[in-house]
Amino acid sequence: MTNQNDNKKHHRDIFIVWALLTVIGVLVGLYATPWLMPKSASHTMSMGILTMVIFTVAAAPVAALVYAVCLYALTIWRHRGEGVPADGPAIRGNGPATVLWLVGSTVLTLFLLIWGLGLLGSDQSAGAKASIEAANGGSAEITVDVTAQQWLWSFSYPGTHVKSLDLYLPVNKDVEFNVTSKDVVHGFWIVQMGIKVNANPGVITTTSVTPDKIGTYTIRCTEICGLDHAFMMTKVHVVSEADFQKWLASQPTRI
Amino acid sequence: MTTTLEHLTPVGADPAGGGLHRRLNFFTALIFGGLSAFIAWALSHHFLNSDGSGFSDQVTVLASIGWVLGFELGIGALTPIGRWIIGKDQVRDDELYLAGKNMGVRRHWKYCTDHKVVGVQYIVVTAILLGAGGILAMGIRTNLMTPGLHFVNQQVYNSFLSVHGMVMILALIVAVAGPWANFVVPIMVGARDMAFPRLNALSLWTLVAAIPLLLGSLAIGGLDMGWVTQAPISEQTGVGFDLFAMAIVTFTISTTVAGINTICTVMTMRTKGMNLERLPIFVWASVVAAALGLYAFPFFLVVMSLNLADRMVGTSFFVASQGGTGWLQENLFWLMGHPEVYVILIPAVGALMEITTVFARKPLFSYRTALGSMVSLAGLSALVWAHHMFTTGWAPSLGGPFMVTTEMISIPTGLMFLVILGTLWRGNIWMRLPMYWVFGFLFNFIIGGVTGIYLSDIPVDNQMHGTMFVVAHFHYVFVGSVLFGAIGALCFWYPKVTGRFLDERLGKLSFWLVFVGVQVTFLSMFVSGLRGMSRRYSSYEMIFEHTNLISTMGAYTIMAGMLVLLGAVITSWTGGEPSGPNPWKSKTLEWLVPTPVPLENFEVLPVITSDPYTYGEAQ
Amino acid sequence: MSRSKTIGVALSSVLLGAGVLSLMGFGLASAQPHQPALTATPTGTRGHVALTISVYPDSQIGGNRGTGGAHPDWVSYSNDNLVVPANSVVDMTVKQYDTGGELNNSVFGNVFGTVGNTMNVNGKEVSSWDPTSIGHTFTLRGISGDGTRLMVSVPIPFDTNKGAENNGGGVEIAPMIVKFSFKTGGKGVYQWNCEFPCGGSRQGQFGEAMSTYGYMSGTLTVK
Repeated sequence: MTNQNDNKKHHRDIFIVWALLTVIGVLVGLYATPWLMPKSASHTMSMGILTMVIFTVAAAPVAALVYAVCLYALTIWRHRGEGVPADGPAIRGNGPATVLWLVGSTVLTLFLLIWGLGLLGSDQSAGAKASIEAANGGSAEITVDVTAQQWLWSFSYPGTHVKSLDLYLPVNKDVEFNVTSKDVVHGFWIVQMGIKVNANPGVITTTSVTPDKIGTYTIRCTEICGLDHAFMMTKVHVVSEADFQKWLASQPTRI
Repeated sequence: MTTTLEHLTPVGADPAGGGLHRRLNFFTALIFGGLSAFIAWALSHHFLNSDGSGFSDQVTVLASIGWVLGFELGIGALTPIGRWIIGKDQVRDDELYLAGKNMGVRRHWKYCTDHKVVGVQYIVVTAILLGAGGILAMGIRTNLMTPGLHFVNQQVYNSFLSVHGMVMILALIVAVAGPWANFVVPIMVGARDMAFPRLNALSLWTLVAAIPLLLGSLAIGGLDMGWVTQAPISEQTGVGFDLFAMAIVTFTISTTVAGINTICTVMTMRTKGMNLERLPIFVWASVVAAALGLYAFPFFLVVMSLNLADRMVGTSFFVASQGGTGWLQENLFWLMGHPEVYVILIPAVGALMEITTVFARKPLFSYRTALGSMVSLAGLSALVWAHHMFTTGWAPSLGGPFMVTTEMISIPTGLMFLVILGTLWRGNIWMRLPMYWVFGFLFNFIIGGVTGIYLSDIPVDNQMHGTMFVVAHFHYVFVGSVLFGAIGALCFWYPKVTGRFLDERLGKLSFWLVFVGVQVTFLSMFVSGLRGMSRRYSSYEMIFEHTNLISTMGAYTIMAGMLVLLGAVITSWTGGEPSGPNPWKSKTLEWLVPTPVPLENFEVLPVITSDPYTYGEAQ
Repeated sequence: MSRSKTIGVALSSVLLGAGVLSLMGFGLASAQPHQPALTATPTGTRGHVALTISVYPDSQIGGNRGTGGAHPDWVSYSNDNLVVPANSVVDMTVKQYDTGGELNNSVFGNVFGTVGNTMNVNGKEVSSWDPTSIGHTFTLRGISGDGTRLMVSVPIPFDTNKGAENNGGGVEIAPMIVKFSFKTGGKGVYQWNCEFPCGGSRQGQFGEAMSTYGYMSGTLTVK
């Protein structure tokens, strides 16, 4: 049954199906992904969305290949008679195909790794943070202490007198969150800004972000923390620097 | 060879031997277990210090130990050892009795050492676990059909999702390995039974003993922390956690015993000529998974024990206010938790590879790649655990290395695809029921696997961790891939067990219901997660209303499909179309023995001259 | 299997299974402690409704609907299922019969989110209370269907003079009366609980009554 022309025909037809499916996958990656995700309110989030897009686009040809071969197997290679089919060709393996697959998957993985590690490095390096602040016209960073407890978030601004159950942030300023918990583990997640860190009892964990759009965003808890985990959410208000100072000044001195 | 259909060992003259075992069965086990649990409970309640803060935990744990010991006594698991200790070791007649010779159906209710009986018992246990987990899933999805807690309150819901997670994980750990590594693997290697038949029965009945503990946690207050039982909330919660932890401890014993048994059987009891390169790939999959399980599950035992110690006697391994840290619990848990998902996956992939060779009528494409991918997957899986902890704040500097190892796991996983696709390549695809599940697996596993790669990237994980995106990812892998493999394996080996085909029409109906249901439920769940819905939420904001309603509708569809499958399994067992001993014309050894498989499998042990994938080759 | 038998098996499996599940579902829904709703009553003033709840040192008098629930020795609020109308002002009264102590997070000694950011304790209008003499808090949060956020937190003090007398046990004694008002927005289910943990567990004292449904937490449904 081994027939060079047959093989070439299979390759060509599968390639066509693969190409079609890849195009669909790429389009889904480019358009559906950002449409389904929350609107970005920080550079971190924008890069996160971009990463999702890139990963989807990169995954499209892989999925397309699997689906193309499956479709082909279900149609062209399908045994249509009654009873047990005759044996197929005794293909025990194919050196070139295996090597190609191995090399291809390794290259793809390396590409995704390099992108991801690079992004991770840029998120965390102080130098990068400084340049983002400069680009956004920001200056010194502010700090917010976030205390999680069952089942809400409370905030305080070190260096000021402000203790609050509301979170206000000035736009275009790097903010560092020092997060801790009074009881169990909670997950501090600002949905539209793409940052998340757990609140652990007895330790302080940190995360930081530069909000770059004025608006109201959501904070949700992401580690199950008991009975009312589903209600442990609040809002964060990103306002102009002037409004932020006004808000700080308007907060009463609290015990 | 008989021409009439006899899928039960004929009930002939009453078997000789047995002794105490004649009176012991599942029901005596229940009675003994209940009695011992009660006695242990009463004694500890009376004699322990009721003012201590760990009192109710101590009582619960001791009662659980009483239950397990009583159950093992009552089923006869301890009788062989007991007799050996007192010098009246079992004789051949006793062993034949234990193996269920001439006993008919009732041997399935007893401590039976015949690996085929244990296999059938595992099918029933898997069905019970899947059923219980499925009922809980219906509870979860019904509550999430609309926001606002209209079905159950938060506490009940949180308990549902925690127990659902654990029950389903247990179900999937045993779904392929339980029935088929027991029923099929000894025959596949040319052995008469497993290396340690009594341990085989022990592993099954220990698992059975663990189930009431796990489900019982729902009855005494539940647990509100997810199946990962993260400290410190696991230190805070009620006594439901103690039963949960004892169920896990019991289960760990069961799985360790089973894993050792599988590996020893394959390594030492292969028939003449069955060298390692002629082993069917499913045998290798079972061995690799068993070895990985032996590495991983002791961590589970350790983390549950430390947690229980914190609760019972006031140690502070995980209590931050007294010097401990919850991060220790998370690390220990995920050291188990990540290899464990590959313990679940590898047997399912192995079974699907077997099915593909038979139904494409082709040799396995690149046997060495298949083997290598399983081994490297198992090996790498021990190095990736902290990708579950990227957002915990535990060790930010380790984020990069764990990202590297996790993304690297995609390479052996991809090679598994290559093997299956290569086996399909230019085959004569015979679209019988088992093959449907192979194609369903391929479709779903790409989605499940790729979304796992997304999560391995830290900037994405910072957004997606703890959201419904993760839930959809692992359900695509667990339900869409592993469960499809388990059902495919069931459809494939069903004629060997029962001598009848599983009804094709019902099977195909169930396939389409489950397949479509999976897409609807979990694609919609991806959208919920992308939009920002956290996981383990008993209620949610209005913006997630539509995607949750769609997911619930899909879940009901999956349930319908699984019910149809259950109906098919039950009615086909005695009423299905007779299949003969080798309906699929497969070349692995289990198909070359008669159906029903005789007590010691082979009249004469076969001598092997080639691997079982000689399709298309000159004989 | 014949075609009609196939259909028969399929249908009966699904119907039987669905039937069993529905039965279980109904049983579950009716057996669990979804407490009867306490609906706010309209007051004389337009747009205002009134709601009165109490908090007890144990569940034997009035707490957990007065039946004690499974743990009669646990502290408990009188009602956990509160219903108020949308876009109105709720005049809330909390009667406090229990003792207390020091908050684990002093920020909850402040009043948040009420009208005027004050509360009325036994006739005195204040905006905070000494965090070392707090009995419980009433802390309400949530985000409604239209995205509006509700966040109210009021410390419920205890009378330091009353001491041991406050541990009820069948006799009604004069409680601390705390009154405050807050505005509701759009429809939704909000959640409230006490933020002064006093339950078991070495880590945060948030076990037992604090994390069991029906004692120290509940929902506020805005209709």
